[in-house]
Amino acid sequence: MLEISSLGKVYESRGRRVEAIGSITFGVGSGELVCVVGPSGCGKTTLLRCIAGLLPASAGEVRVAGVPVTGPPPNMAVVFQEYGRSLFPWMTVRENVELPLKEKRLPAGRRRELVGESLTAVGLIEAAEAHPWQLSGGMQQRVAIARAVAYEPQVLLMDEPFAAVDAQTRADLEDLILRLWRDLGVTTLFVTHDIDEAVYLGQRVIVLSSSPTTVMEDLKIDLPAERDQVATRSLPRFGELRGHVYRQIQRARGTR
Amino acid sequence: MRVVRLLALPVLLVLAWWAVSGSSFYLPSPDRVGRAFAETWFSERLVLDVLPSVGRLLAGYVLAGLLGVGLGVLIGLSRRLRATLEPVLEFFRAIPPPVLVPLIMLLAGIDTPMKVLVIVSGCVWPILLNTVEGVRALDEVLSDTCRMYGVRGASRMRRFVLRGASPQIMAGLRQALSIGIILMVISEMFASSSGLGFTIVLFQRQFQIAEMWSGILLLGLLGLALSVLFRGVERRVLSWYYGSGAERA
Repeated sequence: MLEISSLGKVYESRGRRVEAIGSITFGVGSGELVCVVGPSGCGKTTLLRCIAGLLPASAGEVRVAGVPVTGPPPNMAVVFQEYGRSLFPWMTVRENVELPLKEKRLPAGRRRELVGESLTAVGLIEAAEAHPWQLSGGMQQRVAIARAVAYEPQVLLMDEPFAAVDAQTRADLEDLILRLWRDLGVTTLFVTHDIDEAVYLGQRVIVLSSSPTTVMEDLKIDLPAERDQVATRSLPRFGELRGHVYRQIQRARGTR
Repeated sequence: MRVVRLLALPVLLVLAWWAVSGSSFYLPSPDRVGRAFAETWFSERLVLDVLPSVGRLLAGYVLAGLLGVGLGVLIGLSRRLRATLEPVLEFFRAIPPPVLVPLIMLLAGIDTPMKVLVIVSGCVWPILLNTVEGVRALDEVLSDTCRMYGVRGASRMRRFVLRGASPQIMAGLRQALSIGIILMVISEMFASSSGLGFTIVLFQRQFQIAEMWSGILLLGLLGLALSVLFRGVERRVLSWYYGSGAERA
């Protein structure tokens, strides 16, 4: 569904040439949930912006369902890290979720249905008429998730979506993502700097090197499909995988 | 309680005025001015002088708003245009608009178009520069969000660019309103035969001192009414902005 081949990104400005991404190649199968982790400053956000078509790549290409990405693909949705800045403060929760559907020119009845379903799924149907700034950070991020889900994308990208919420909210949101992903079967690429989160959520974890970034390891997470915050995280295998990824990232930082 | 607090100072000021009035021919008492006010302005002058003045003010203000916001959005969205134009714009903004009156008189004559043009020439700058600033500072994450979800063209303009820049646009419009009132009066003090500014100068020349004072009073009340009206509109348009507490950031 999502193929990234020999993707490279070089930032060039007067007299300075920064190679942010060396060469990244990996794929995400249809309906798969893949997490990307890497040491801080390894260009995770750059990678995601290239995949989303928000930033032109310097080399290689990204294909979504076989189509090369040249701008934001119509069948892709993104949940940004900065939830406070990705919702329109002058619109209500409902209007925020509905706006992309209006742009898609869906009829009003279908829009109402999708908005209702997605807000119910994230548990915020009661807050539909509130403005984003009246909600807590975790709730705001749930609105952004509802907006992405209502858009009915084939590919869902998430850029460290829970980096700025507290630990309890974070666990709730992780389980929300797992549930939505299972219910909808949407192909999901989840970028995070949190190793635990990556191992807990992913079917596969892509470990990135430090900049200029390459793929260090494409790791299959052989944990039971049904994940649980307490049970899964206390499995010996969870600890092993987590330790393995941790060492990989330490190594990546060492080779900088 | 609120009413008392609101009215206390105005009442005190009128009392103080009463106390010092009569000491000079040029300082008539409040009741003299009040009578002159009723006689002067609740007459055909309302139609012949006040309404045309206010009409020109609104026409100039609306034109300046359209021009300022329109050009401001264009300039704000283009980095290259901004770099080229900004020093020039700062220069034009620095010219005190009243000195343009003689020039505009030569170009546009002495009738209504001249007066409206004077008001536009003064009001447009704060609106333009604030709009540029507001559009330039639009949030990048919101901009990316628009791109991801296919919000573009007119919809992007209406739902993102104008709304996002609206706090700065409103700030520009508020500055422009007071500038507009000043220029309305000034444009009528030069070569004119009607309007509030003209009438006040006429009363002064004819030593109708109470009438002159009543004109000043009327201008003050007009400014107050317009600013109250503006604040009402602003509260509505920017309710999300005040609610989100962004103005404190």
